[in-house]
Amino acid sequence: MNKILIDAREMEHPVPLERGIAAISTLGKDDYIYMLNRKNPIPLIKLAKERGLNTLSYEDDQNTWHILISIQDENRLKELFDV
Amino acid sequence: MFDQNGLSLDQAPPISVVFGLFLMGAIFGVISGISILYFGHDIFDISSTGAIITVHLLALGFAMSFMLGALFQMLPVVAGVVLESPIPKSNLVKVALALGVVSLIIGFVTNVGLLFLFATIFLGSSLLYVAYTMGSRLLKLSNHSASSRGMIYAIFSLSLLVLLALYMTTAYAQMHSGIYFATIKQMHYSFALFGWVALLIMSISFQTVEMFYVTPAYPKLLGRYAPATVFALLVAASLSLLVNNKLESYIMILVYLLFAIYGTITLIRLSQRKRPLADATVWFWRIGMVSLIISMILLIVHAFISNDTLLEGAIVLFVSFVTSVIFSMFYKIVPFLTWFHLNAQGYFTAPMMHEVIHPTIAKRHMWLHIVMVVSFAFAILIPQMVYLAAVLMMASFLWTTYHIIHAQKLYKYTQENSEKFEMNIG
Repeated sequence: MNKILIDAREMEHPVPLERGIAAISTLGKDDYIYMLNRKNPIPLIKLAKERGLNTLSYEDDQNTWHILISIQDENRLKELFDV
Repeated sequence: MFDQNGLSLDQAPPISVVFGLFLMGAIFGVISGISILYFGHDIFDISSTGAIITVHLLALGFAMSFMLGALFQMLPVVAGVVLESPIPKSNLVKVALALGVVSLIIGFVTNVGLLFLFATIFLGSSLLYVAYTMGSRLLKLSNHSASSRGMIYAIFSLSLLVLLALYMTTAYAQMHSGIYFATIKQMHYSFALFGWVALLIMSISFQTVEMFYVTPAYPKLLGRYAPATVFALLVAASLSLLVNNKLESYIMILVYLLFAIYGTITLIRLSQRKRPLADATVWFWRIGMVSLIISMILLIVHAFISNDTLLEGAIVLFVSFVTSVIFSMFYKIVPFLTWFHLNAQGYFTAPMMHEVIHPTIAKRHMWLHIVMVVSFAFAILIPQMVYLAAVLMMASFLWTTYHIIHAQKLYKYTQENSEKFEMNIG
């Protein structure tokens, strides 16, 4: 699986959304987006789901959100978490 | 834990809702400039018809339209509140607000009682309706942020200022004697300027400054208690007006101090941004906060040394505070909404945000805005300068009007001429 990392923790709104949408538009079946963010980017997640992608979000104990987006199913996404 | 708590921008209102109100606000801004051009230096005499007309064109026509447009946009973002059927709701508010402002202004010019009756009906119904619609949803929230809590107090203030205004418009319509007119007018101004406008800006900033500019969060104490304290102080100041005017001015000093502290903290937060470069929207916030702080200091001094120039300076800078923050939000909201809605509809070749309104456009507007504010400040002492300030104000709002229309046209053009996105998977 090819990881497309977007570290949005220090990006000003709405740059994370802009980068996320750009990544979704070129996402292949063996790719997954791994976003790190200060918030859970619900608009991005909604857009991804509307396009038939699976998503998973997790907030770690440092209040950083880990968001995975891919065509792969949820169980596969859970295996790809870096936490 | 796997959940969905966080930013809830996905339920942004239709673009026409926000753009319609912004366009109306910008047009009333141009008319405010014309009003200043017509009345000249009289606008600095706060009891003159020219000042009353200009203040209401700015506060109701311009600021109210923009703030309601921003609220339709920001309620889902900062509070997770979704308004059902936003298009008919916003159209109703837009038409009634426009008719109400026009009736009120012509009423002030002609002194025809019937026009004040129309203003009472249109402004009362539209603003109380919007306050009820937004306020009732905010009250139902189970978890409040500093922003949503503050917005409730701002909307309470909106309801109060409208009810107080209705007392005055019905007095103008000769429906009663208006025996408490002067007291009610003072209360109306306090709730309008500090309870509604300043408190709403403060409440929205608790979330947007951190989110837009990656700053440290506001102090918890400020977010949790400042809006309630401002509201309580305004209520106390209003009640004290009934017994002792001096007590009212002492209580208001606390309100001024709170807003000066808020302005200072916002400036500090903006200086702690992670990103070294500041775009025009950051500078608009900074201009707004510096204006707010100086305005509050002038009002505090004015409470001890009654001086017309101090008061006029405070008013000019308060207007600068409100317009600066509104322009900052405008340059964030318009490009974002255009880009976001087109992307949400699948137009992945949609213009990027900087193609909707380029950052250099916002920067040029910022310079125009600064020259306008400085011209108004000088006009207090040099009466002829007011005409330059009025022309600059018209130019500033015409600029805004043009960019709303441009964004709307770009949006339509993309919908009509672009292909929708197809997933590159399978």
